[in-house]
Amino acid sequence: MAFLRLRNVTVDFPIYQGTSRSLKKAIFAASLQRNFARDPVDRVTVRALDNVSLDIEHGSRVALIGSNGAGKSTLLKTLAGIYEPSHGTVHAQGSISALLNISVGFNQEATGLENIMLRGMCMGISPGEMRGYVTEIAEFTELGPYLDMPIRTYSAGMSVRLAFATSTCKRPEILLMDEWLSAGDASFLSKAQQRMAGFVDQSSILVLASHSLQLLEQWCDIGLFLHQGHIRAAGPIKNVINEYQKTVDQAA
Amino acid sequence: MGEHIRLGADVVDGEALVPPTRVSLAWRDLADGLGMFWLWSSLAFQDIRLRYRGSILGPFWLTITTAIMVTAMGLVYAELFKMNMRQYFPYIACGIVTWNFINVLIVDGCDSFLSASGVIQQVKLPFSVQVYRVVLRNLIVLLHNIVIIPVVLLLFGVPIGFYSLMFLPGLAVMVVNGVWMAILFGMLSARFRDIPPIIASLVQIGFFITPVFWSPELLGRYGFYATLSPFASALDVIRAPLLGHAYAIASWPVLGVVTLAGWSITFAMYARFRGRLAYWV
Repeated sequence: MAFLRLRNVTVDFPIYQGTSRSLKKAIFAASLQRNFARDPVDRVTVRALDNVSLDIEHGSRVALIGSNGAGKSTLLKTLAGIYEPSHGTVHAQGSISALLNISVGFNQEATGLENIMLRGMCMGISPGEMRGYVTEIAEFTELGPYLDMPIRTYSAGMSVRLAFATSTCKRPEILLMDEWLSAGDASFLSKAQQRMAGFVDQSSILVLASHSLQLLEQWCDIGLFLHQGHIRAAGPIKNVINEYQKTVDQAA
Repeated sequence: MGEHIRLGADVVDGEALVPPTRVSLAWRDLADGLGMFWLWSSLAFQDIRLRYRGSILGPFWLTITTAIMVTAMGLVYAELFKMNMRQYFPYIACGIVTWNFINVLIVDGCDSFLSASGVIQQVKLPFSVQVYRVVLRNLIVLLHNIVIIPVVLLLFGVPIGFYSLMFLPGLAVMVVNGVWMAILFGMLSARFRDIPPIIASLVQIGFFITPVFWSPELLGRYGFYATLSPFASALDVIRAPLLGHAYAIASWPVLGVVTLAGWSITFAMYARFRGRLAYWV
């Protein structure tokens, strides 16, 4: 049984702009100020998630909705365990696969096939086991001869195919996806949806962040509306989308 | 504020959420990372492969570069120092190959987390995987360079015997030190971007004040002090056996202190700041 539990999770981002990353400023500030409780280098911190408590149980297909900077990506990265929260706890059970960003490719110089192996291994799958998946992944991507070329030559859509197929090869119990899925074309999206439907039936969890409300409505059954690091609304997807659109209309 | 949202079918009983301590998390990170040897070894080999993709000689450029450097410095400095070529050439060959290893363990160690920011931002992995990867990558580089040594030793008639293999314990200790250096310097470099150039220039100075290409005897009565630095000790425990010499008196004690102190400081820092790494890179 997969689940994700967040208790009072707060994520503060230090923004290291220009000088605040420099050693000189840190030393200088330390020698001048005795009060370390205050941020000694005038560092700007951004509170990306503010005291969020959240339980996601198995079988849920959760849509993250919210404007830019609402905390969707941060929440995904926190769920994935990439960011350890500044306060609060994250408790996850089940194998997690996160498809967060394709532009930060694993290795632009390596070929598609090499990247399949590389990405698989980074997901904790041993090379021997991964070799067993390669044929199936290659088939799913429909990239054919392109798989022998470095992935820097790929278009965004091609990278999406490769990343999606690889990340889902070993049916993760929890799949976290950000925005970029929409870079795929229609035939890929329907293929991907089929594949996803398969896992979610097997009591796993999907959390998907996107600005495409249509895509979210198609893929998810529960909505989570984030606003400035808070959960503004949660519940059946239709209601939450309505809520979201109301806010957008008000602002406009 | 603080609303508690439940989504999904069952409501499971409130399981005790006792967060593990930072120290145990740091231990687990180091141990789990070590266990994923198939991952960091593949990453390390791929680093080397990709660096030389498309080049005909590939990683043997490493060997050639070092061989040229050893030859050039050997010829010039033997003349400058009025040294006997038979003794000096093996000395500088072993010195430069060993120094290159120490140098790259430190300088490349600064890059351990920064160069892996793509992976760190996308996948939850023990951070130490990146550290073992860097150390192994540089060990592979050393293996390409080290082939020069037996050639030079044979050419200049330095006896090769069982004792020559005594460089292996020294090498092992340097690998152990390489791990903490890649963690500590990697972490500092991720947080403060001034650290890599500072460390690089310190190591550069280290090259000149360490008896890599000159012999401590040239310093006369100050020679002993030159053998006391960690750099000199690290160099000595690998080079001395290769040349058939005895270790300098201070080498092993100094290295022992460096290893213990380095690991203690690093572990404390790692336990404290490991969780921030993903934000820093």
